[in-house]
Amino acid sequence: MTVPFSYNIRNLVVRKTTTLMTAMGIALSVAILVASLALVNGLRTVFANTANPLQLLVLRKGSHAELGSTVPTEDFAIVRSKPGIAADRSGQPLTSQELVNVANLPSLDNPKGMNITVRGLSPVGIEMRKVRLVAGRWFQPGQREVVVGEAVAHRYPSARIAHRIRFGKGDWKIVGVMDGGQSALNSEIWGDFNQISAEYNQQDSSSSVLLRATDPVSLDALKHSIEDDPRLNASTITESDYYHGQTASGAPLEFLGILVSVIMAIGSAFATTNIMYAAVARRAKEIGTLKTLGFSDGSILLSFLSESVLLAALAGVLGCLIALPLNWVTTGVGSMVSFSEIAFRFHVSIAALFSGIIFAVVLGAVGGALPARAAAKKEILSALREA
Amino acid sequence: MASYLPLILRNILRNRRRTGFTMASVAVSICLVGVLFALTRALFFGGEATPGQAKRVVVHHKIALTQDLPAVYEQTIQKIPGVRAVTSLQWFGGTYKDPGDPKNRFAQFAIEPKTLFEVYPEFHISQSQREAFVSQKTACVASRALAEKLGWKPGERITLVGGMLRATLELTLAGIFDPPPSDASPVLYFNRDYLRDSLLPGDPRRDAVQQFYVETDNKDAVSEINRQIDDAFAESSYPTKSEPEEAFMLSFVSFLGNLKLFLAAICGAVTFTLLLITTNMLSMSVRERTREVGILKTLGFSDGEILGMVVGEASLIAVAGGLVGCILAGGLCTAIASAMRSAPGFVSVVRGLSFSPLVAALTVCLALLIGFVSSIAPGLYAARTSIVQTLQYNG
Amino acid sequence: MDIVIETRKLSKDYMRDENPVAALKNVDLQVAGGEFLALMGPSGSGKSTLLHLIAAMDRPTSGEVLVLEQDLRSLNNRQLARWRNAHIGFVFQAFNLIPVLTALENVMLPLKLTGLDAKEQLEHARTGLQLVGLGDRLNHFPRQLSGGQEQRVAIARAIVTDPDFILADEPTGNLDAASANDVLTILAALNNEQGKTILLVTHDPHAAHYAKTTRYLEKGVLLPEGQAPQDWMAAPPPMPTSSATSAVTE
Repeated sequence: MTVPFSYNIRNLVVRKTTTLMTAMGIALSVAILVASLALVNGLRTVFANTANPLQLLVLRKGSHAELGSTVPTEDFAIVRSKPGIAADRSGQPLTSQELVNVANLPSLDNPKGMNITVRGLSPVGIEMRKVRLVAGRWFQPGQREVVVGEAVAHRYPSARIAHRIRFGKGDWKIVGVMDGGQSALNSEIWGDFNQISAEYNQQDSSSSVLLRATDPVSLDALKHSIEDDPRLNASTITESDYYHGQTASGAPLEFLGILVSVIMAIGSAFATTNIMYAAVARRAKEIGTLKTLGFSDGSILLSFLSESVLLAALAGVLGCLIALPLNWVTTGVGSMVSFSEIAFRFHVSIAALFSGIIFAVVLGAVGGALPARAAAKKEILSALREA
Repeated sequence: MASYLPLILRNILRNRRRTGFTMASVAVSICLVGVLFALTRALFFGGEATPGQAKRVVVHHKIALTQDLPAVYEQTIQKIPGVRAVTSLQWFGGTYKDPGDPKNRFAQFAIEPKTLFEVYPEFHISQSQREAFVSQKTACVASRALAEKLGWKPGERITLVGGMLRATLELTLAGIFDPPPSDASPVLYFNRDYLRDSLLPGDPRRDAVQQFYVETDNKDAVSEINRQIDDAFAESSYPTKSEPEEAFMLSFVSFLGNLKLFLAAICGAVTFTLLLITTNMLSMSVRERTREVGILKTLGFSDGEILGMVVGEASLIAVAGGLVGCILAGGLCTAIASAMRSAPGFVSVVRGLSFSPLVAALTVCLALLIGFVSSIAPGLYAARTSIVQTLQYNG
Repeated sequence: MDIVIETRKLSKDYMRDENPVAALKNVDLQVAGGEFLALMGPSGSGKSTLLHLIAAMDRPTSGEVLVLEQDLRSLNNRQLARWRNAHIGFVFQAFNLIPVLTALENVMLPLKLTGLDAKEQLEHARTGLQLVGLGDRLNHFPRQLSGGQEQRVAIARAIVTDPDFILADEPTGNLDAASANDVLTILAALNNEQGKTILLVTHDPHAAHYAKTTRYLEKGVLLPEGQAPQDWMAAPPPMPTSSATSAVTE
């Protein structure tokens, strides 16, 4: 009971230039939307990959970041002896004392310098994380040596293996490059805990303590045990929550991206309305003929509406294709928690692509609604008489 | 050309709906571009540095903001010609009451009470409150935003429990100051000496500060003063970097990633799209009136005059849409700026987002340019079609 | 002969630039089944208006239109559309084929509203086109056809639903003499061989020959049978010959 779809498809094809130009506008709006979603997805992926669900971060009470927190060395001993902590192969509890600070090096994006997280940790800390060495070797205790994450090696020209970089009070030699998978660890510089603490005059304390629980029940128990312990002045947060919270760093960019794509969509919707009105005017005689043949007002409306929706959907696909190559682009964003850059890859997920198409379809429907209605309401005789 | 204005106008009004929608399309896109221009300006070109900001310099560790500088540097800086006042800034980062409640989290700095208001003459505070702040060691002052958020009145007792710095401070609110409207962040300042006394004698952080804020005599001397400060400490173990305050604020922008590229890409995309859409509209409109063009030519209008009319029509629509877009952009900028007034950290520079006359002019020029460029193809088509062709045109 | 179309005091007024125009005034018309009626008159006489009202493409200002005893006034727009699809085949002066559809697709169009499946639709359409002599042009687009061929496609489209009536509004107005003859021959054949009731609106006396009866309209008034408008009397049309319907296509 409807006007055949081929009618609409062919009309779009016949007016190639117009169709293409309008489609470009919609496609770009969709591309920007998908890019923004991909940005946030990418960040989320990186942070999800960094966290181990059984690991708990111990910070000073009231601190929300490793950077502002201090945990005295005496407290470390207390934490270490608590039950429920997983052990390494030699039976030692998996607890790591870590000192976190920030170095500033010129990067490809920011020649004036960008902050990088510097982490002092001991071998047990390395063991507790999913990293592997891809070049060189680990730093030796007592030496001013560091290992950099892969993203640091790529994005900071001075941070190549065997080179020296400057932070704290002096120079450090890069002896290795590590790969932490798609995680925030790739954006860090690691060194020996004692060396780093001395560098920042924090010999008798650390920023945080990382520990691994044996199972989720123990994790919960440890959380309470540490927070309620009157000897300690500590708060805890699971690694998952800690990193999850950092995805907010991408919020300003996501906001901007969505704002821009919505505004562009409004502009494109106006354009769609315009060309559909022109189409309705141009095909007035056809509308009259179709109605004479017996097609109802409703089927005419549906036909023209589906034409604009089809146009928009195709444009949506085009937009997705434009945004797709971003999937292989790496960039960095400053985390407001660690005060340093986190490198990540855009992640164009299926959900993002889907959202893009839906966005386009809605745009097409909104833009094409008024003209479709106008087409449906045309009187047969006046339509037939239009030039 | 002006004599054809009535003809052009009538053509524009002939299909009011199409003209309206085209103008709307232009307006929306131009609004977007305008906001992006303003954003770019605010983020990368300092926006509008207030007269107060223009004379202020921030001195911090060359490598990172979080690194310490010796407090004694103050004496050296004070001696540099052109420096009117110096205050050191030490970040405290203590916990107030229950830190789980977001409103209890605010910036806290230990400073020199005497020189704070000299370095920040735009901070308004009553004389008596200022004197109380200077005379009592345990006194502190809060910005109006902070005081209102937490319901503080002068005399309020405020306890801050130190994190990185091991000290618990018992402060009394001596006064509330009003910063300029563009800076509504909640902040608390207290006395350096009190912090120093509260830290254990062996604590190396006793004499460590993170920044110095320097007020100069006039803004033209700023770059020279910066150079002198940095030269003074270049060879020491704590080299400095001195920069004007706006530059310092802007350095946080790099935190938003490769924003310049992002913004430029979007501007490009929007402009390109707008060009496509407008050209399309115009082509349709011109094609529809091919017959009319033929008649005009028969009456004696030259090809050039026809071209001129098409371009004139496009430019008029584009500029009209552009002006509307500018108004929208201005509104949007104000909305964004006020929404961001209480935003934390680096996004604060967006507070200064304004749609200045320069940006408005640029935006309208872009609109005009788009109108012009988009009309070339259809205009030439109309100008060059022969009379016979136009009369044969069957729509 | 039963009356298949009847109008009673049919009137239509419309507004032209704020001036009311009476296009039809109290028309009483009766058409019997199997008739081939030509409606003639100068432009503005209301003949097209009458046709449109019978075809349910417009609504009268006053009066009744009864087609196959169905009072068209009692149907709403949707019902009228369906009714039109089932009972009327309309042929326009300007052909009005859909440019982006092939000849076959154009003819299939009215069948989309019936319950036939795709295969049957295809069959009917093909048969229709063969009937009008265009069996070899099924996949041509209108722009690839001559005017006469286009109109023949339009006729195929008009008959594909096997309607009760064929209403033609100046079908030869845009055609050259040869094509015009082809078209009129087809219409005559449809009337003679298949008993289709045909209403033909025309101002061309030559076209009217092909019909069996002619009625005249003048300024919105249907003139009594046998009567023609005053200025037509000056050059009476030649009498239709019996061999008109067997006019051969060149």
